[in-house]
Amino acid sequence: MVAARLRLTRTQRRTITFYLFISPWLLGFILLTIIPLIVGFLISLTNYEGLSVINLHFVGTDNYVRAFNSDADARFSLGRTLMWGVYNLPAWLILSFVMALILNQNIKGHGFFRTLYYLTSVVPIVAAITAWKVILDKNFGWLNGFLSIFRPGTAIGWLSDYALQGMTMIAVWTGLGAGMVIFLAGLQNIPDELVEAARIDGANSWQVFRYVTLPLMTPIIFLQLILGLIGVFRQLDLPLVLTQVGLARGAVPPRQIYLYMMHVYRQIFISNRWGYAFSLIWLLFIGVAILTLVVFYTEKYWVYTERPEEGS
Amino acid sequence: MSTKKISRRNFIKLAGTVAGGAVLAGCAKTAVETPVATQAAVATQKPIQTQAPTKGPQGNVVVFHDVKELTPEMITQFESEHPGITIEFIDRTEPARLNAMIAAGTPPDLIRVQAPAIPGYLARGLIKDLTPYFEASSVLKLDDLMPANNYYKAESPTKIGTGKIYGMVKDFSPDFTVFAYKKAFEDAGLPTPDPSKTPTYAELAELAKSVAKIEGDRVLMWGYGYEDGWIDRIWMNALAELGQSLYSDDFSKVIISGNDETRKLAQYYYDLAKENLAVNPVNPSPNGWAGGDFTAGILAMMQYGFWFSAMAETDATRGQVVMLPAPTWAGQRRDPTMTATGMVMAEKSQNPDAAWIVFEWFNGEQPALDRAASGWGVPGLKSMLELVPQETDFQKQCFEALKNELALETPPLQFNPYLGETEFTNSWKTQLEQALRGTITFDQMLTNIENDVNTAIADNKAVIEG
Repeated sequence: MVAARLRLTRTQRRTITFYLFISPWLLGFILLTIIPLIVGFLISLTNYEGLSVINLHFVGTDNYVRAFNSDADARFSLGRTLMWGVYNLPAWLILSFVMALILNQNIKGHGFFRTLYYLTSVVPIVAAITAWKVILDKNFGWLNGFLSIFRPGTAIGWLSDYALQGMTMIAVWTGLGAGMVIFLAGLQNIPDELVEAARIDGANSWQVFRYVTLPLMTPIIFLQLILGLIGVFRQLDLPLVLTQVGLARGAVPPRQIYLYMMHVYRQIFISNRWGYAFSLIWLLFIGVAILTLVVFYTEKYWVYTERPEEGS
Repeated sequence: MSTKKISRRNFIKLAGTVAGGAVLAGCAKTAVETPVATQAAVATQKPIQTQAPTKGPQGNVVVFHDVKELTPEMITQFESEHPGITIEFIDRTEPARLNAMIAAGTPPDLIRVQAPAIPGYLARGLIKDLTPYFEASSVLKLDDLMPANNYYKAESPTKIGTGKIYGMVKDFSPDFTVFAYKKAFEDAGLPTPDPSKTPTYAELAELAKSVAKIEGDRVLMWGYGYEDGWIDRIWMNALAELGQSLYSDDFSKVIISGNDETRKLAQYYYDLAKENLAVNPVNPSPNGWAGGDFTAGILAMMQYGFWFSAMAETDATRGQVVMLPAPTWAGQRRDPTMTATGMVMAEKSQNPDAAWIVFEWFNGEQPALDRAASGWGVPGLKSMLELVPQETDFQKQCFEALKNELALETPPLQFNPYLGETEFTNSWKTQLEQALRGTITFDQMLTNIENDVNTAIADNKAVIEG
């Protein structure tokens, strides 16, 4: 055994060491991602209902056909998810970037404010939503109570009539800190000499931002965009917690925030259509993968990268 | 050696079962009976258990239940009183784990359920006939069982109420009684409804209109509350007054638009929502549920069972609550329980004899006595009824009202074995919101609910019947 080990070349030993180091992650990835994906795909080809396998049947692509042909709610929830993305993603990206720009200034107490704004991301989502519900409730919420001082009887349904906008507000508020920190890290990596050079060349603040800061931040924006995009399609906890006391009592979210993952959740936990739900998840997986590839394709048109020049 | 070829269908079934089972089993703890030696080792932590008993059922019993109803302290107490039997607790907030365990063939031995789930479990062959255990028990005597336990008796999935016994209620309530908040009536200049008179649903709606307080668009006092997660059960009971059912005889269809009485019921609840007399999807409860609105003093009437008396009086409502009889829809007094929360044993229980010991203890011994004395429901055994608290005036009034409701001995509602517990209400709320917003008509709402529910029935029926 020792002799065999001695016969290994340095490269071989390094290779083995490399694989030993990554093996915990690799094992986890295979066991917790790859295998569930495969099992999920197999289940999506069956009528599995989550309780019994006695009458489990292979149904081929029936579940996938159903998603396209006869499930209006699946299409509706996809539409709502896209709308959620339209509202949430730009708002979150822009606001957290602007916040990072502000807190990147050398102002007094900037450390305190950075911590303060990041706190929104530390608050547990359930607690945050509960607090927001107290503020935004239609009849007894603080906001409508305040507005009723000026217009008695004001009852704006922030979480029902304007559920999508209300949820966006909560999501941006809770996600602002995390987004800001990443942008801030990016901003602090911009070399001072580039900004100073631009200043010497006569650039004003807007021009420094437009021609120096923004281009150098595009890799971070790209990363945030990809992560945010995936997050949009995976969103479940916000509508779930906003939905009264949860689905256990048969509660349903307002139609405006009936997102795709809510529809999937409903198929599994309300309707026991596990096979069908897995087909919806796989369709989502494929859709998000395609969308991500499209965004990656656009990278070369707008993301600044420092690549070695040819021939160098 | 057999040369029989496996069909594609069987291969997929086998592969799916093996793969699914393997993965799902990973989520589930294996409910293998613990050897006595292991029990003895565990028992060394407690002086009383230094020697493993040699008689009686022993081993590990996996219980899927509510942590507030089966607490760690209770489990410790049980284990000290029953050396050789351990309880492995799984919180019911993990329904996916329950599903995984059932699918993997290692279900919990004892499962907390509500009555609407019983027909579906029976249809899938998931629960064990406990008749022999009941017949032999000196703790849970058949003639001591409250009629609400009939939800756990069945001749078939579509015939509940008589036959073999598959479980029993932990406690229950006749669920259609109404709690009235006196102050809301006083503020509206109205007398509080007389608890000795049975109201009709129509009268309650009129009262709700009179007592509700709406300022501009804001609702400051809701008129009437009901558990909208149980809307189908409420309709089923109202229809039963007329000898009608929400479903076809074979439970393969829900009948809404084709039955004038069901349409009237839908209209009744639609109007309550439209007029903002009851919380609804467009104007949701500020407290997450109507019961919370009542205890906050912003709801005049709440339709809940006797169990609600344990929490109806809060700082906001103390001394201001009265319990009314269940209203009638068509003049026929009925007041069944519609949840009948209880316990069943899995057909594939790994350790049924030990599980029965736990079952008996939980439903007929100290935990049952404690529950009865807590006032959070009517005990499942007649012999424990008098333990229900009757100290305060409110408790005495509620107990008197309760006795009148129990005297009705309303037979159980027959739930649909092909329908999930909240499938109907999910569709109702989804469609109701759209109807209230005017994106669909009332008739379209009914049609959509029928379509949703019938699709779900067809899906489940296909799975159950193969």
